[in-house]
Amino acid sequence: MQVLPTPTERFIQGILPENPVYRQLLGLCPTLAVTGGLKPALTMAAAVGFVLLCANIITSLIRNLLKPHLRIVVFTLTIATFVTIVDRFLAAYLYQMSKALGPYIPLIIVNCIIICRCEVCASRQSVPAAAADALGQSLGFGLALAGIAAVRELLGTGMLAGYPVLPESWPDWVIMVLPPGAFLTFGLLLALVNWISADKQQGEGGGS
Amino acid sequence: MTPAPLTAADTTLHVAPSPHVFNMRMTVTRMMIDVLLALLPVVLAAIYFFKWYAVKQLLICLIAAVCAEAVFSRLRARPLRLGDMSAVVTGFILGLSLPASAPWYIGVIGSVVALGVGKMVFGGLGMNLFNPAMVGRAFIMIAFAGKMAASGYLVPGSGVDILSQATPLTLLKQSGQSTSLVPMLIGATNGSLGETSALACLLGGMYLYWRKVAAWEIPAGIFLSALLVGLVNDFLTPGSGWTFAHHLTGGALCFGAFFIATDPVTSPLTPTGKWIFGLGSGTLVMVLRLFSGYPEGLMFAVLLMNAVTPLINRWTIPRPFGGA
Amino acid sequence: MAHALKQKIPSPGRWLRDTNLGQAWLVLALAILFGAALAAVQVNLSRRIEANRQNETLSKIPELVWGPARAREIKSGSAAVQIIPGTLQAGSGANPITLNLFKVIHAGQLAGWVIKAGGQGYAEKIDLLIGIDPQVSALTGLFVLDQKETPGLGNKITAPGWRGQFKGRSTGRPLTVAAGLSGSEAAIDAITGATISSRSVTRIVNRVMAAVKDSLEVDTFRPIERRS
Repeated sequence: MQVLPTPTERFIQGILPENPVYRQLLGLCPTLAVTGGLKPALTMAAAVGFVLLCANIITSLIRNLLKPHLRIVVFTLTIATFVTIVDRFLAAYLYQMSKALGPYIPLIIVNCIIICRCEVCASRQSVPAAAADALGQSLGFGLALAGIAAVRELLGTGMLAGYPVLPESWPDWVIMVLPPGAFLTFGLLLALVNWISADKQQGEGGGS
Repeated sequence: MTPAPLTAADTTLHVAPSPHVFNMRMTVTRMMIDVLLALLPVVLAAIYFFKWYAVKQLLICLIAAVCAEAVFSRLRARPLRLGDMSAVVTGFILGLSLPASAPWYIGVIGSVVALGVGKMVFGGLGMNLFNPAMVGRAFIMIAFAGKMAASGYLVPGSGVDILSQATPLTLLKQSGQSTSLVPMLIGATNGSLGETSALACLLGGMYLYWRKVAAWEIPAGIFLSALLVGLVNDFLTPGSGWTFAHHLTGGALCFGAFFIATDPVTSPLTPTGKWIFGLGSGTLVMVLRLFSGYPEGLMFAVLLMNAVTPLINRWTIPRPFGGA
Repeated sequence: MAHALKQKIPSPGRWLRDTNLGQAWLVLALAILFGAALAAVQVNLSRRIEANRQNETLSKIPELVWGPARAREIKSGSAAVQIIPGTLQAGSGANPITLNLFKVIHAGQLAGWVIKAGGQGYAEKIDLLIGIDPQVSALTGLFVLDQKETPGLGNKITAPGWRGQFKGRSTGRPLTVAAGLSGSEAAIDAITGATISSRSVTRIVNRVMAAVKDSLEVDTFRPIERRS
């Protein structure tokens, strides 16, 4: 039987080695759609993090009761419940943000990161491992979103999280806050991450 | 990429990415130099009409394009091929498609995007799907819409008269005014640097045709379809003062037909394919001019047709001799 | 081996496991549990969400009638501001339109009207709040409730400077959009690079002005009956 990673390993893996966005290319819909600014990107990451943590814990708790052919139904049911809770909470306490994120909060239900983690980790491992996995993956997702959003917001508006950073004379690159800017930034950052890790691997290979 | 000189005993089949050079005396470098020579009348007209503005804009784009090519080649660890002049051509075409007064960073960003995202990301010359200069222009057009839209062409009090008028297509779109034909033919109107003089473009186009560098089918297709749509439009909206002749000489149609759409890398290979490409581009230009929010549509038309070029190539595979 | 043996002897436990209920009991149990949790969330939050939704419109109304400075003054003053939502049947004969509007009463006097109207923008529907004075002779303000115009260009319609142009315009003649400077009294300056968005807003305003010019009066206004 294969040895499953420990909670610590799970946590670290989520950040870069198995980063949901840059390594697994999962959850790209919010990655492209809500990264026009840092604030919506971080709100989205927090929402996904909350749903992922809750879904992973619940799935891990009931993992011995799951029947293979009904497991997806159970995952979806769990995820949909927590997404609805997040959606209502945002509408009640962060109304403007909830309006800005629009349909992308309900769409977390079909975000494949969550169902993937339920399947890969939570339905096989104990609660601590599942929780550590959820935290690591959420952190990785949050970092990926924040990276893309920072580039797009800075170039597109000269601001970061709504605060002016660049001088007034900065010409806004409007394209960066539009959908094409999302694809370009994502592609270039993906290339950068691959380039850096390829460089690192080569360096390590040369050393040994 | 540069084919070896053909010797009598040499029966090797060269497999190389496009531009496919069939005539062995012609190399990519030779072809690019021919394009540059053909651009000469256009550049001269631009300098004559826009004075110092044209010189500045073209130099910025040229230097930025060459530097971007060098940097991206380095990043991708590829041999530097500045000698083939393709970066110079891209820089010139981009520069000629910009407004005279666009700020310096627009030319620089446009060139970097053209060479980086438009060309090197796909694997360098011959592998790109879209015309690099137009990728760069589309990027800056959307990024700096305020500077590239109608008002971006106006420079009040510049000492250059035509820079104080709106471009002919903008006048038409916004207030329905027409411009007389002669200035549009010569180039004494406002517009992007290279597009105003239909005559200079025609001269350069003739040279390209004479040197057999560019396919005649593509410009022919563009002019034919623009003419047809223009005539139908004249028939449907008579007395507007803006006729099919204005459509043919105005905007970037001439410049684009000869220098942008004919890019051998991003246009179809077979004559039939080239006809389809030309007719499609011309129709799209007219549809965009007549029905979209933009006054001119050549850039988007060419990019859209670039996207379907692989499909056109598939449709028009020539039947081998004796094949069913 | 043990597995094969088990299959031959049907046990009550196994029979129960094979029924639909035995298969799906976890799904059902979770559905009931989650359903209850969601109901609790809904009960606790729905009022707040509804209030958020209404406040968005209502909080803008005083500003549209009196302008930001005077609105703040009135808010802190003693006289009550009453905002009555209602509808208005406007337009002539064949194509009547129903407008949603608010009647604003301050210290017992009619202070103005605010009309909610929408129309097609460059990207998607634009929703506006339009303030009109009690005599229906001039605009008192404009606010963009909802828009998805191009960021950096079309979305400048929400900028106070641009929408401020509408304040004080007469309802008597339709507004036009001019690119660059124009001397006309009824002209609205277009936003650079976003002529279409500018025109869309102006078109919505013109349509509303044409509709209310002759038909908006105190007795044509129909308040919406509030079920409390």
